Formats: sequence, C-alpha cells, structure tokens
Amino acid sequence: MQVTGSLKGRSSRLIRSVNSLLGAAMFVAPLLALVAIWAVVVPLFNVNPRVFPSVGAVGAAALDSIRDGTLFAHVGASLLRVGLGTLIGIATAVPLGIAMGVSPTVAAFLTPLFRFFSVLAGIAWIPIATLWFGYGFGAIVFVIFNAVFFVVAYNTLLGVRTIPHTLRNAAASLGAGRWALLTEVLLPGALPNIVTGIRTGLGFAWRGLIAAEMIATNVGLGYMLFVARDFYRTEVIVFGMIVIGVLWLLIDRLLLVPLERATIERWGMVRRA
Amino acid sequence: MKMLSLRNLGKTYFDPYAGAHVTAVHDVSLDVEPGEFISVVGPSGCGKTTILNMIAGFIPYSKGDILLDGKPVHGPGPERGVVFQSFALFPWKTVLDNVGFGPKMRGVPKAERDRIAREYLALAGLSHAAHRYPNELSGGMQQRVGVVRALANNPDVLLMDEPFASVDAQTRMTLQEELTRIWQERKPTVIFITHDVAEAVFLANRVVVLSKGRVLDQIAVDLPRPRVWDDLVKDDRFKQLSARVLQMVRAA
Ligand SMILES: Nc1ncnc2c1ncn2[C@@H]1O[C@H](COP(=O)(O)OP(=O)(O)OP(=O)(O)O)[C@@H](O)[C@H]1O
Ligand SMILES: [Mg+2]
Repeated sequence: MQVTGSLKGRSSRLIRSVNSLLGAAMFVAPLLALVAIWAVVVPLFNVNPRVFPSVGAVGAAALDSIRDGTLFAHVGASLLRVGLGTLIGIATAVPLGIAMGVSPTVAAFLTPLFRFFSVLAGIAWIPIATLWFGYGFGAIVFVIFNAVFFVVAYNTLLGVRTIPHTLRNAAASLGAGRWALLTEVLLPGALPNIVTGIRTGLGFAWRGLIAAEMIATNVGLGYMLFVARDFYRTEVIVFGMIVIGVLWLLIDRLLLVPLERATIERWGMVRRA
Repeated sequence: MKMLSLRNLGKTYFDPYAGAHVTAVHDVSLDVEPGEFISVVGPSGCGKTTILNMIAGFIPYSKGDILLDGKPVHGPGPERGVVFQSFALFPWKTVLDNVGFGPKMRGVPKAERDRIAREYLALAGLSHAAHRYPNELSGGMQQRVGVVRALANNPDVLLMDEPFASVDAQTRMTLQEELTRIWQERKPTVIFITHDVAEAVFLANRVVVLSKGRVLDQIAVDLPRPRVWDDLVKDDRFKQLSARVLQMVRAA
C-alpha cells in the first residue's frame, strides 16, 4: 500500500511538471509566432524604420539599454511606483471594504459611489494629481493608488457580502468575537473577490503608470517611450512596449497566479484555471 | 453540564413581502436534562428550525424564555454548539484547524488545541484527514468534521438541525451509529432535529413531537445501548416506538 502510494505520488508529480512545461510552451508559442511574422514582414515589404522597426533593430536597442543601464533605471523606477501605490491601495482598501461589508446600510449607501469611482480609476486622475502633487513621484504613486483602491475596496465589499451567513453563525457559536469574525471569517471569505479586485486594479494601475510617466516625470518606462518618440526611435518604443507587456505577464504569473494557487484554489473557492 | 429550559417560547416573524405576521412557534415549554439526547420531529413548517435557531441565538425570540441553568440566553455563544445541515466548515482552514477553532477562540495555545483536535478527529475516525481542506472531503466526512468541531468546544448543549439529511442513506446510518457511540462516550446534551422518524427513535432518549408551533407529545425511548442498525431493524420495541411516533407526526 505504502509503496504504490508513493509511486503514484511520484508519477503524478512527473505528470504535473510535464504538464506545466507544456503549459509554458503553449503560452510562449503564440508570442513566438508573432515575432516570426514580424521578422518576415518588415524586410519583405521594406518597411520604413520610422514607421516600424525590424526585429534586429529592437534587439540592438535592447542590448544598448541593458549595457548602459538605462533599462534598469526605467524598470526600477516604474516598479517602485507601482509597488508602492499598489501596497498603499490594498492596505487601505481591504479594511475599508470589510468595514463597509459588515454593515448593510453603509454598504448600500456607498456602493453607487464606489461603482462611479471604479470606472474613473487611474488615468482620469492624472491631471488633478499633478495639480495636487506637482510633476513627479507623488502624482504617479497617487494615480496608481487610486486605480487600485476603488476597485479593491468595491470587490472586498462584494466579497464580504457573499459569505454564507451560516459561516458567520458557525464562528459565533464557536465563541468568535467581533475581531475573530473579521480576521478568521470575513477576510479569508472575501479573498476570492479581493484577488479579483487586485488583478483588475493592477491592470488599471499599470496603464495609469505608463500614461502618468509620459506626462509627469523624467524616468520610467512611460517616459522612455515618450522621449524615443521625439527622436523617431521606433525600435526603442517597440522595445519599451515589449518590456511593459512582459513585466505585466511576469507580475501575473509570478505573483498573482501562485497566490491564487496557494489560497482560494486550494480551498476550492474558485475553479482551477 | 447545565440544564436547558424553554419556557412558553414563541416566535412571530414579520414577512415583508406578504406584509403580514407569521407565528412559527406559539408556545413551547421543554426541560432538557444534562446529558439527555432529545430528538425533535414534526411536519415541515412546524417550527423546528425556528426553535433551534432561537436556542442557538441566531434569531431573537418574541416571547417566553430560554434558560441555561436558570440564566436567560441571548445571542450565540460557545456553550451552545451547533451542527449545521450545510456543514458550514471554513473552506480556508484545514480539518485540524476547523476542529481546533473553538479552542482557539478560548485562547488555547496552538500545541494544546492541535492535541484536542486530533483527539476528536480520532473519535470520528478522521485522523488521516487532519491536513486536508474541507473541499477535499466527501459529504459524510465533512459532517463528521462538523460534529467533532462542535464537540471539541465542550458545549453544554449540542444543537443539530437535520445534520445528516444531505448524505446518502448508507453513510447516514454509519453517521447515526457513530453519533450514538460518541454520545455514550461523552454524554453531551443533544437536541437533534429531524423529520426522519426512524432516525429520531434510533438516536434519542426522548422524542418530542411538534405540531404547528406547539409540543404535541413526548415519547420516552427506553431501548438499550449501544444501538446498532443491524440489531434494531429486527427489534419489536423499536418498530413499535417508530410506528407510534410516525402516527403522531402524520396526525400532527
Ligand atoms: N425568516 C422568516 N420569515 C418569515 N417566516 C418564516 C421565516 N423563517 C421561517 N418562517 C416560517 O415559519 C414557519 C416555521 O418554519 P421552520 O423553518 O421553523 O420550520 P421547520 O419545522 O424547520 O420545517 P422543515 O421541516 O421544512 O425544515 C414556516 O411557516 C415558515 O414559513
Ligand atoms: Mg427546518
């Protein structure tokens, strides 16, 4: 019994790692196909590099920016702003969302407001943010915070409201007080919605970041795109766009997906993707 | 262990859709001795769940008293454990942590509450599942966890509302036998709600029959213990008692 059990465990682990390799290949394949088409089409039609760069030119731009360190300066600046704005956004939105979800009256009153601000979140706040904080770090972090805050707060509120009432009753009849109810039931119970909120909010934040950096700063990925445009450096622009997309995929795959695997998927609260 | 008394208990709901008051429980008086196992039966809508929810403190009562050792109870509390029909396990906690939840709320340190939880899991034959999550268990296993989670908190009264209604017939019989065995070992006071007459007689010392929010009658069940289905299905006394309860429920 013991032996077959462990054999079964080992072979299923093997199957799982083969599967995840296959999954990665399936994920990369369409992107590679796109690059292949690009590599063929640009020389074939002799496209003007001021309109669209060749694969080689983008590769060279990539190497340059790695060699002289500007890439890391831009990426570092952008990630710091996103990281800080997102953390502040989550840290304030989750407690507020839970507090709202606990009281039906407060929730009913604030829900339309939060829907309204969820739509506006991010980019639309750039002009006023620069008036409040000036051009620079503060304004950009505010835009990101704002993009994350409303979406996460609203989703947390929804999450708390969808927790089955019997779970609250179960906790109360096992002796849970108000605080334990919050930390042991409402917070984990709302987590599926909180994660959805973070995912959506980060998407808004990422777009807001690029837009804000084009206007309000002199370093960062958005700034890198914007300056390259002034010099018709399409290869730098396209390289920057690739970096922006790849960074988002990495954030998703390395941060959000593992977080979901370890929590809400393990608990059976959402279907495995 | 404490004595539970219901004194002229009544509950009137306001139904906002119909704009009318509905009296679900008219006047129920009942004394439950410490260590007694009571089954409550009655036709659908006679107020069984309402009574249980009032004792659990999930809903306020409209008239009368609920007394635990003479003191009125209001709101939920750990001295009244509840086993839910829908199990109500915390999906984000392992089986061990679900069972250890009550002790955790009492401030029992981690090592000690794990020891308590393991002891109760062993009682339900679930030691091997300690580190699994509820969604990885069958319905029958989930309800075993639900029962020992309530027991691990050492409640004065254990309240169960059709806890075995959503598991298959074979599993249900096993769970019933396990419950009588655990009850004999620990002697908690139990109020068990069901509309399955055989289940009510099999488990209880006393069967209370409700009708339209009132106690219609009570029947003492003096069958010897331990009770197992293989013996009782052939037992004349069991058949007589079941037939009597069934008659009452149908007339109720
Ligand atoms: N929240 C509520 N609002 C209004 N009426 C209610 C409410 N809950 C229960 N009732 C009514 O009270 C009566 C008793 O309901 P209860 O759920 O206690 O019955 P029950 O004996 O548990 O029935 P069942 O065997 O079907 O579970 C029913 O007529 C029901 O419609
Ligand atoms: Mg009921």
